Amino acid sequence: MTPQEMYVCMIVREFPAQALLRLRPDLQAQPCVVLQGEPPLQTVVSLNTQARLMGLRAGMTRVEAETFPGVVLLQRSPAAEAATRAVLLECAGNFSPRVEERSEPAAFLCGIDIAGTQSLFGPPEMLTRSLRQRVRALGLQARLTASRNFETAVCLAKGLPLHRSLQIAADGEEAAALAPLPLSVLSLTDAQAETFSLWGIRTLGMLAALPERELIARVGQQGQRLRRLAGGTLPHLFQPAEMPFLLEEHTELDQPLENLESLLFGVSVMLEQLILRARARVLALAAVTITLQLESGAPHCRTVRPAQAANEKQLWLKLLHLDLEAHPPAAAITAVTLQAEPGSPRQVQLGLFAPQVPEPGRLDITLARISSVVGEDNVGRAVLEDTHAPDAFRMERFRLPVRRCVPASPRQPRASLRRLRPPERTAVTLRDGRPQHLVFREQRYAVVQAYGPWLESGNWWTEKGWKQEQWDLIARASDGALLYGCVVQERQNQWRMITLYD
Amino acid sequence: MPTAATIRSQIESALAQKIPAALSPSTRNFRPLLSTGIPALDERLSGGFPLGAVTELTGPECCGRTSIALAFLAGIVEAEKVCAWIDACNAFDPASAAAAGVDLDRLLWVRCGHPHQPATAPLPRVAVPEACFTPKPAVRGLHGGGYGPHPRTEVRGISQALEALFHQQPAGEEPAPPQTFPARTERLPAAAIARRPARPGHYAAIERALRCTDLLLQTGGFGAIVLDLAGISPEFVSRIELSTWHRYRVAAEKSQASLVLLTQYPCARSSSELQLRLLPSEPLGEEAATVFTGMQLHVEVARQRFAPDAGNVFAMRKPPRSASGAYWINRTSWAGLR
Repeated sequence: MTPQEMYVCMIVREFPAQALLRLRPDLQAQPCVVLQGEPPLQTVVSLNTQARLMGLRAGMTRVEAETFPGVVLLQRSPAAEAATRAVLLECAGNFSPRVEERSEPAAFLCGIDIAGTQSLFGPPEMLTRSLRQRVRALGLQARLTASRNFETAVCLAKGLPLHRSLQIAADGEEAAALAPLPLSVLSLTDAQAETFSLWGIRTLGMLAALPERELIARVGQQGQRLRRLAGGTLPHLFQPAEMPFLLEEHTELDQPLENLESLLFGVSVMLEQLILRARARVLALAAVTITLQLESGAPHCRTVRPAQAANEKQLWLKLLHLDLEAHPPAAAITAVTLQAEPGSPRQVQLGLFAPQVPEPGRLDITLARISSVVGEDNVGRAVLEDTHAPDAFRMERFRLPVRRCVPASPRQPRASLRRLRPPERTAVTLRDGRPQHLVFREQRYAVVQAYGPWLESGNWWTEKGWKQEQWDLIARASDGALLYGCVVQERQNQWRMITLYD
Repeated sequence: MPTAATIRSQIESALAQKIPAALSPSTRNFRPLLSTGIPALDERLSGGFPLGAVTELTGPECCGRTSIALAFLAGIVEAEKVCAWIDACNAFDPASAAAAGVDLDRLLWVRCGHPHQPATAPLPRVAVPEACFTPKPAVRGLHGGGYGPHPRTEVRGISQALEALFHQQPAGEEPAPPQTFPARTERLPAAAIARRPARPGHYAAIERALRCTDLLLQTGGFGAIVLDLAGISPEFVSRIELSTWHRYRVAAEKSQASLVLLTQYPCARSSSELQLRLLPSEPLGEEAATVFTGMQLHVEVARQRFAPDAGNVFAMRKPPRSASGAYWINRTSWAGLR
């Protein structure tokens, strides 16, 4: 052990219950127990403080737990535990890249190598407080210990009394700190526990005081390991775990849900957690995918991707709400999964002379609202197609342009077109092959000037080939009104007005 | 000896019951103006369209409202702002906008007149039985010569047959029992109350356009918003409540967006700060031209609040208005410079 070594151990007790209640703040004030096993042989595997104060204990059967009034019974969720475990490892990873997981069936436990982080996070006392605060923000209660010996930190964490959440073992005082702890923190086998019980050994201090040679002679080589463990001198080969940064939250609903507004209450808590985790890495959410597990079996998946990455919860909530309203699930919802893609947070330097543009977040919400009114395909920016076909364009999603506007040449007033969609039927009388009279919208016009015919065709090499004969007309009605338009001849004596010049 | 200010205040207090602030000129509002991009019109308007106000362009079809609005947007887009075109008639032509100098990346186009088909379940596939494709055996005489039903009854039941064809039930499903209506004393369940279908036609388009305009004005940040009702006849547009235009005027002033309204008949009334009446345009009379080259536009100012004055002298009487309008020529983009 080198003097530079320093380890922090984090333990989250009653992990199955805490993992389930993390995203259920409405249940945190109520007594809750987590059941495991096949019905009806279910037993309590974990519970919260309120349930413990009522007298509930782990190992009780479901029938026994139901005798207590007001107790909320929850089913153990491996998915929620896996997600919470990933969240905790990622949180620990914010303080050091070297994290080793030593979880137990009912508790999450990990060791963090914090050697060399003093200049960043301060002494171990300060770091453990910061870490505890960060974990508390995730909706979990963790206990933290620090020591120069890894195993000492682990044993201290396991034996920490209920009223304490932090303990730092000073350098050289590991044995003294471990001495009052019971032997149960060592994970002894039944035979070893019985032997020590017969010898009257109850604490680690009593075990460390035993002579080494005689202990090995009676218990075997494991005796030496246990004695060094109890004395705080057992070396440890640190095995850091890989921590992929995955922004994902999953929750299962107690009963199938059909109301979107009720669903959004739960989604709000999950979004809050995602934003918290992204913000810890100085990131923002660039896209959020919501996957709703439906009662019918098929998942309903929607992705919301605003113009810029954002960390505003209300913005994301509104965008998800509008999207789900536009594309509602076909059946009742049984589980919700949120996955987010991280992105760089918005960096906008506002200037005094910067042009006025809409705020990106508000613009996204406005576009989503407008989409719900007119349809997704009817809002956006127009992109002209590279074709001679009339009225050829496609709609794309509107985004605030980042490129600078190229100053155009000196502008000149231009005659513009107004498209008639669909083209309106009109009657045209020809004379010598040129339009002479025109009836449009129940009004008769005499053609003053006709330009054409303009023959156009395209895509003749495919099934979508088109061709048409156009005439630009200036026509005057009997009351003097002038009409500037463009007509096309579809078939013999079938004319349509496609545009008006305005 | 009392000063002039004292005498003025005494007179004002004496006349306060009849004429409030009789000798104090009212505060003058000077609204910033944005160039329309048309020199003749800018000169007539002493600068251009007002910023943060409602401008109304009225006139019949083919009088040049769209080209004025596009020229105005081109100037705003050139200043790196973004604009919106709310199209209640589905008549906007992106190619014309690009030709007028509007950067389409900075123009939000909302097609309120385009039919919106909400996502619904796919229609069931209609399978016509093979028997329909096999020719029937030839029969003697017209309509079978009296061996079949009378020709006058052969079209009966076609509507029911078509309905059954396009709404066929899956095989094996029991036919639905005949619908029974509850007695009048029974209360209808909530699920039975269906939402009223959207009103078809212009009213629905106008309603959508007004909602979108509301949303965009509240969002703020848009340099100009064009509400295009130019293709809708006045009998529909005039039914829009005046409070709507007043709300738009307040919102435009707050967000400093210029709202340009294209209509056939003035409808915003006092809420519009500038109202231009476009008269029927005249052809250019270029007989030798082989292509349509453009038209000459004529605009009259029907209403202009807070017109900027040249001098600092406060006029006690309403200044005289210029009777003459503005004239200019709109050329087509293919006509080239002349």
